[in-house]
Amino acid sequence: MKNYQWLIRREIWENKAIWIIPAALAVLLVLTSLFGTLTGDILLGGSSASPGNTLTLSGKILLLSVSSVFVILLPIYSSWYLLDSLYADRKDRSVLFWKSLPITDTEVVLSKLLTALIIIPFVYWVIANLTALLVAFIVAVRAGAAISGAVWRLDLWLQIETLWIYLIITAAIWYLPVAAWLMLVSAWAKRAVLLWTVLPLMAALLVERWFLGGQIFAQLVLNRIFTGFLPAILASRGDSDTFVNNPAPIWSMLDPRGFVSSYSAWVGVLVGVALLYGAIQMRSRRIE
Amino acid sequence: MTVLIEAQGLTKQFGSHVALDHINFSVETGRIVGLIGPNGAGKTSAMRAILGLSSYTGHLRVLDQNPRRDRAKIMRDTCFMADVDVLPSWLRVDQAIDFYAGVHSGFRRDRAQAFLAKSQISTTQRVRELSKGMKTQLHLALTMAIDAKLLVLDEPTLGLDLLARRSFYDALVNDYMDETRTILLTTHQVEEVDNLLTDVMFIAKGKIVLNVPLEELATRFVAVSVTPDALEAARAERPFYEQRAIGKRILYFEQPDLSKLTLLGEFHTPSVSDLFVAKLSGTTA
Repeated sequence: MKNYQWLIRREIWENKAIWIIPAALAVLLVLTSLFGTLTGDILLGGSSASPGNTLTLSGKILLLSVSSVFVILLPIYSSWYLLDSLYADRKDRSVLFWKSLPITDTEVVLSKLLTALIIIPFVYWVIANLTALLVAFIVAVRAGAAISGAVWRLDLWLQIETLWIYLIITAAIWYLPVAAWLMLVSAWAKRAVLLWTVLPLMAALLVERWFLGGQIFAQLVLNRIFTGFLPAILASRGDSDTFVNNPAPIWSMLDPRGFVSSYSAWVGVLVGVALLYGAIQMRSRRIE
Repeated sequence: MTVLIEAQGLTKQFGSHVALDHINFSVETGRIVGLIGPNGAGKTSAMRAILGLSSYTGHLRVLDQNPRRDRAKIMRDTCFMADVDVLPSWLRVDQAIDFYAGVHSGFRRDRAQAFLAKSQISTTQRVRELSKGMKTQLHLALTMAIDAKLLVLDEPTLGLDLLARRSFYDALVNDYMDETRTILLTTHQVEEVDNLLTDVMFIAKGKIVLNVPLEELATRFVAVSVTPDALEAARAERPFYEQRAIGKRILYFEQPDLSKLTLLGEFHTPSVSDLFVAKLSGTTA
């Protein structure tokens, strides 16, 4: 366990972008809330809502939009981090330094996976919260008492926090095979990691299409990466507009039971574990 | 004395190229072994196999472990210094010390700091800000502090100037080496280490050409300076190498009959570098 602590610390030392990127985003959002014009949905609470819910919704929209900017950025950075994770030290030869320490390849690979799936999301969560606090404060001061009551509501904040925790846990499970694939490529490729991430998938898709005449694998991949996640974890099955503009509390829209009992989440975990095993094996073989 | 490294039939292939061809050797505690050979001879392959950094076939035990399976266990008591540029450039000196202290149970922070205090390195510097000589000093400071039983050095002084090389080897002998430690090193600069080594191992084309303790060198090898008139008689004693010199030739003999050679000319024990050239240049020039 002690090795994992130090390995994760090492990841944070090495990859300062883990906190610099969300911190920069936070500064941007705070500046926008300070100097931008307060119009549109934030003040009106969404056009489709009934007048009685307007204020409740405007607080929710404000906080959700702050968080969502971070949620969109997070997978982009994490993917890049993973793709680089087992490649960068081979490229600059420092892998020989790391391998001269009493740390197993399994510990190295798992610590990086843990960083990508838990530590980085946690950092984004904390910074998103600090940003939301600041933005809410600024907007409340600028827009006056009316919106202030809509923003400073404990239950609303609890909903947002629940959503974050739920997203972090479900995403870690759902995206495990994607993360493991990125790590496998990162441990294997001698150069052009990005190309090697996409190329084998494209090749498989084309082979399937031309020679087997099917699209099952293609559907699976697309579903896993893009379209499948939200339907798998939400009871409202995906429509983001109803999600945001729905006056019901956020937690009524989450579907943890459906997710945990879904077959595709756990098949993904199995595939992920297999790919991860491959990444560890590759890590123990490749030093250049 | 305990055997620290034992290799039998150690073989490493890259496709059809044989980098190590069924080599046998062992290294005992307290020795300083120089693994010497031309580029591409298999030195790095041998080191990587020993450290569990690459696959191999054959029997290999290091510190009573199987390197392929138990690299992490071997590294508890081993320090590996490849040439200087393997320290991660983003790492700060204090981070390096903290990390070593965190993952090495026997790490002695005070010793690392004492060693660094003698250098120009400050703890807030990053590796990328250090000169090559300072990087080596940092790596050495970390190494000293873990009490490694086995130190493996692959061209450790590559790219260092003469002063830095000298101070590196001084620190190695004075601050690191004692009878419980063992060093295995490769280098091109044979003449810089030949008074440091206790054993030499010549390797060429994946095979061990010579493996001998330095104290046996004098009884096993003789170089004789022969004037042209005695050349034919000397050649009859079957030298394995002939070197041209001004007005004479130097002939190298292995396990010679000294009583016959004394009549032929002046003789001396060849230095490690002379022997290296003699052994690896093939037979008579």
